[in-house]
Amino acid sequence: MDPRVTLLKEFYRGLPRDHAKLETNGHGFGFLDALLAGGAELEYGELTLSGLLHKYKLAHIPESRMDAFLHSHVEKDCNVCLYFDGSANQTFCFNLDNNNRENNREMLPEMETAVRLLRKNLGRHGCEPLVVASGRGYHVWGRLDGPVPNGRLYKFMLHAAVATVAEIHAQGQDHHRIKFNFYPDPRVQDVVSLRLFGSLHARNRVFSHILGPEGPLDESASWEYFATHLRTRAYPVASFDAALAGISTLDT
Amino acid sequence: MRTIAIDLDDTLNDFTETLRRLEFVRDGTFALAEPVFQDYLARVRLGEVAGGNLLSTEYTYFRQRIHQVCYQKALARPDGVAFLQGLRKDGWRIVICTQRDLRRAQSCTRQWLAENGIPFDHLFMAGNKIVFCKCWGIEFLVDNDEFNIIHGSRYGVTVFYPRTAASPTPAEGHSDDPCGPRPFHNFEEILPWIQG
Repeated sequence: MDPRVTLLKEFYRGLPRDHAKLETNGHGFGFLDALLAGGAELEYGELTLSGLLHKYKLAHIPESRMDAFLHSHVEKDCNVCLYFDGSANQTFCFNLDNNNRENNREMLPEMETAVRLLRKNLGRHGCEPLVVASGRGYHVWGRLDGPVPNGRLYKFMLHAAVATVAEIHAQGQDHHRIKFNFYPDPRVQDVVSLRLFGSLHARNRVFSHILGPEGPLDESASWEYFATHLRTRAYPVASFDAALAGISTLDT
Repeated sequence: MRTIAIDLDDTLNDFTETLRRLEFVRDGTFALAEPVFQDYLARVRLGEVAGGNLLSTEYTYFRQRIHQVCYQKALARPDGVAFLQGLRKDGWRIVICTQRDLRRAQSCTRQWLAENGIPFDHLFMAGNKIVFCKCWGIEFLVDNDEFNIIHGSRYGVTVFYPRTAASPTPAEGHSDDPCGPRPFHNFEEILPWIQG
């Protein structure tokens, strides 16, 4: 197995692998039949407004088929997006998007501020996130050394985001221009999937590079950073629990 | 296999009528003051899409929630249901093709289709249905969207559309073209056009 696939499976451990969204230029009924071979089912498909990019939400994907999809992902033949578990997860993610209706691919000054401050606020709780470029901003991933119930993950993320937004505002920038979403989100289980690291952006075919503390990394350095982060930066559940307890004290 | 794509809102159901007809009550799940709620509701009923310069706002979230209710409550056209059931018996492949955000609306859409006995093979969302039909080799599209009615034939897609007061006239829709769009009052009018 490609070592990059092994890395992906380890980093995203706990996310269900029997359903996923696939992004590909492949389309047509013959293509769809091949995609569903082995027993997978199409929940829905989508033709996006980005060229001929299609997205397919698949369910009941056999394990061997998912391995093949992940291999295609690292080979850049398609992008694999996974959903979160409905009850507890070992990973969580802030999805920061440029919220402008026009020119929403440009990097806003608010985005750079948001990522810097979010990294700082998470670091204050002992969590060093993995920041990955996405289409309109960044995915800021946290990875724990064990699963945590979704409600607790959401509460933790909400507090970190509120602190970040308040600081953006205090710095005189417009926080409305950044859209924060948190996953897993108990309100939209099984609705939103996130693209795995290693993908190519659907529109510009740019690699989803990692934004390290010192700046953006190229593809090779991103994979090295990803492997190192996986090996050394798991956020202990005990630290998470302590941070959340501190936050809850503030609530009362 | 012969394939047809069909839209949902205001084609196979009475979405706009439902949006106007239903009474929406501001309950605890809408964190809005009553005047704001009523203002937003009026704007949704007028078909206002945007929430200003931002993609995601309180208004766009509200609009999506109201639409979601209408997806569930809209009435299916009985002639449309019978039409699709007949096609299914004749071995047609049926693709539901909608602009709904199926990330959030997939579940209620499937439920509505099942409750109304509407057969289909695949569910697709497409911002541009003509491109979708072209990509997937689908010759026939049933849809009320004026853009598709006017431009379908240029790309080899025949569009059948429910005739309403606001429908384009045949002259606007390339009536001489064999692939030209065709208005209908009742879905059964479509049958001879696609069985030729």
